[in-house]
Amino acid sequence: MDRFGINGTQLRALVAEGLGRGGSWCDLYFEDTVYCDLLLRDSEVSSGGYHQDYGCGIRVLAGEKTGYAYSESTDFTSLIQAARAASAIASGEVSVSGPAAIRQLSSPNDCYPQISDWRQTEASSFVPMLKRIEEDIRRADTRVHKVMAMLSWSVSEVMMFNSLGELTRDSRPLGSVSVSTVFKSGGRIENKRVSRSFRCGAEMAADSLVDQLVSSTLKGVDEMFEAKRPKGGSMSVVMGAGASGILLHEAMGHAFEADFNRKGQSVFADKMGRRICAKGINIIDDGTIRGNRGSCNYDDEGVPGQKTYMVTDGVLTSFLHDRISASYFGTAPTGNGRRESFRYNPIPRMRATYMESGTDGSVEDLIAGVSKGVYVDQFANGQVKIGEGDFTFYVKSGFLIENGRLTMPVKDINIIGNGPQALADITAVASDLIIDDSTWTCGKEQSVPVSCGMPSVLVKRLTVGGE
Amino acid sequence: MEDSIRLVQDAIGYALEAGARKVRVTLNRSVENLVATLNGEIDKVTHCEDRSLSFAIFADGRYGSFSTDKLDTRSLKTFLEKAVGIVKMMAPDECRNLPSPERCCTSATTGNELDLTDATFEDISPEMRRRIALDAAIFGKVGEEGFKLISEEGEYSDSRYQTVIMDSQGLKCLHTEDNFDYGVEVTIEADGDKYSGWWWNSSSRLLGLNAAECGREAVRRAASQIGSSPIKSVRTNMVIDSDVASKVVSPILNALNAYSIQQNNSFLNDSLGKAIFGEGLTIIDLPHIPGQTCSKLFDSEGVATYEAPIIEKGVVRQYFVNSYMSAKLGIAPTVEDATRPKVMPWPEKGLTRQDILARCSEGILVTEFNGGNSNSSTGDFSYGVEGFEFRNGRIVRPVSGMLVTGNFITLWNRLIAAGDDARPCMSKLIPTLAFADVDFSG
Repeated sequence: MDRFGINGTQLRALVAEGLGRGGSWCDLYFEDTVYCDLLLRDSEVSSGGYHQDYGCGIRVLAGEKTGYAYSESTDFTSLIQAARAASAIASGEVSVSGPAAIRQLSSPNDCYPQISDWRQTEASSFVPMLKRIEEDIRRADTRVHKVMAMLSWSVSEVMMFNSLGELTRDSRPLGSVSVSTVFKSGGRIENKRVSRSFRCGAEMAADSLVDQLVSSTLKGVDEMFEAKRPKGGSMSVVMGAGASGILLHEAMGHAFEADFNRKGQSVFADKMGRRICAKGINIIDDGTIRGNRGSCNYDDEGVPGQKTYMVTDGVLTSFLHDRISASYFGTAPTGNGRRESFRYNPIPRMRATYMESGTDGSVEDLIAGVSKGVYVDQFANGQVKIGEGDFTFYVKSGFLIENGRLTMPVKDINIIGNGPQALADITAVASDLIIDDSTWTCGKEQSVPVSCGMPSVLVKRLTVGGE
Repeated sequence: MEDSIRLVQDAIGYALEAGARKVRVTLNRSVENLVATLNGEIDKVTHCEDRSLSFAIFADGRYGSFSTDKLDTRSLKTFLEKAVGIVKMMAPDECRNLPSPERCCTSATTGNELDLTDATFEDISPEMRRRIALDAAIFGKVGEEGFKLISEEGEYSDSRYQTVIMDSQGLKCLHTEDNFDYGVEVTIEADGDKYSGWWWNSSSRLLGLNAAECGREAVRRAASQIGSSPIKSVRTNMVIDSDVASKVVSPILNALNAYSIQQNNSFLNDSLGKAIFGEGLTIIDLPHIPGQTCSKLFDSEGVATYEAPIIEKGVVRQYFVNSYMSAKLGIAPTVEDATRPKVMPWPEKGLTRQDILARCSEGILVTEFNGGNSNSSTGDFSYGVEGFEFRNGRIVRPVSGMLVTGNFITLWNRLIAAGDDARPCMSKLIPTLAFADVDFSG
């Protein structure tokens, strides 16, 4: 508690203040985050930054209703004012003493492998890595015109306390490297961005990471220049293993977040316990993968990170819950209560969302079974309309499939579908699951780091943008 | 404001003491109160106060950017010693510098020059906020013909933002802006299918906020989509509703940013002074309209903003060039970005959406984009869309689940009309737009 200048008596007093108007729950979220970035541009690491974000958010619940306030100062007077503001969600006047005792919880998870603390590592030690990325990319392809490489890291020290007297702590590292490359060939310009992100220590900035980033940057450059827009329309889509997990994130993940279902808005709101895709398909949201960008020892409500089967053998078996929705549905929270920072109240959010491998062979087998369609393997972003279930995702690269073979490269097309229909239209699942470790960030009201994964799958019918 | 100015002055002094040769300090301070409703009942109340300092530090020919919300003297001094240490490990970059004082804004001395504050702001009580939010809610108050209102989420907020920018060359700029917002999202159900709709309003004056009509408009938009489906892939006219038309304007403004130009990652590279777009496209930056949201006298470097054409009759007139990019590219600096760009009416003033539909006769009216993206190097784009098919200037059916695909330069060379109906509460003043020969996939 020294980090935040607060003691146990004060914690209990803050909860008592929060509950003073009749609230049913109060929790405190203390955060001390440092963020650092270094940018290589025009072959030099000539800019960078260092940022501090410090404060405490106080939430009071009255049933399912939320009162929230925060303070950037953790002096007791400021926090009492914040607790009083949050307590306004309730309208009574009661005498509350706060939790009688403090119970320090220890997480069953160890999600953040860490050898070197980012904060103890000299920023200058990362400069050679950024320079090597550019050198290796330029050495391998003469079409390279510009390279920008950015390393960023953050460490968040988090302390949570709630009206049950539970005290939890988490120290969350997150390192990311992204590389943007501009290629020039015959008067044409194309760009490519690749990234990797892990919840681990500074040891991630290793040669193996450089090799991965360089190799991903250089993969498919010829096709990028050859690619054309396909003729658009409704067709079969083979989604390559890895980043295709964006399909799950958009087509169903959001619609499974229980706040949308509690409010009756989700297209899946009345489908619990019902079959929503083929037998054998299992879809998971997992907060326990070591080092994964979406993992957490605790979520931001002090609930241990968990592995949650949303779909088991094709049947919808769980929504993704925070404490509010879990209470509403009479179930246990699933560790999905997440927030961007102490400035936001937690809401149900995904972590690492993926489908387990299937038994329908390889990606080549899936492609061989398609007479006309597209194969897609790199993506930029996606979006969904929760009520309608209509989702889209933007494809950076792929190929046309003609008579079971990959033919013309395609790029920069959007694909649109409907969540329940797309899930029902998954007709084959290969046995090649890959979790994608790019810098995926979900933007539902607040930005939180997530990841996604997928084995190669065949979707019978989606609408593909084109000319 | 005086305590804010003193804090920034002190911070400049601490940075120079720590070894900075030059420094720019920005204080951002805000207070926001929010009341959200769910189905006509209060669902959430929040109170937020923020105060943070951002630093651009120049030392030994090197540069770094920093921020902190730990503002006590001891923490600030420790932070700035660390910051200057980080700057000194960067590679030298002679292009980094503060903007020359002659370009900087000298007229933002009170923060209220643009009349963006409401004198009643501090008198708004928690009860008033609850009343506004509850009065605006329509759950259980509207007729439901052919559908059921499943949920209504409304959100009222009022906020005050203050910015103070000062630098070690004597720059001092102040800006204060109030915002009153109400937004609503509804979900309705008809024939077993769900449809969603949204609407919002915003003003720098509480009295200027029209919250009352938002719920009904959101329901109307959702109900108008009942029975929507894709139509066959087609090449036809596209009319884009003014509320969402920034989707085809923002990528152009982004492509004019000197950071993209310098990295050769812009489809508008080497376009300055050239007729790239059709003569119908004129975009003017109007940063100084009093009382209008997002008007501002200076950019984030403290450089004075000014009214100027960005694109004039299809000719690119301006890149957005800050001090750094000016030195990198060897071209004259301008401002960092468009402040309040307006797409001018064409071919004549006064066209409404209905006028434009009649002029186009047939095509697809886009009222909402669903995802998609564009390629910054080539200008190729592909977006999900929904809206309506129209014939003989009249809407005939709702459409959804479709995609529009093309290239921005090609698209803007096929401009049929730009209306005169931009909503003044938006930061970009984009009217209804119409384009010919656009590819839709369904």
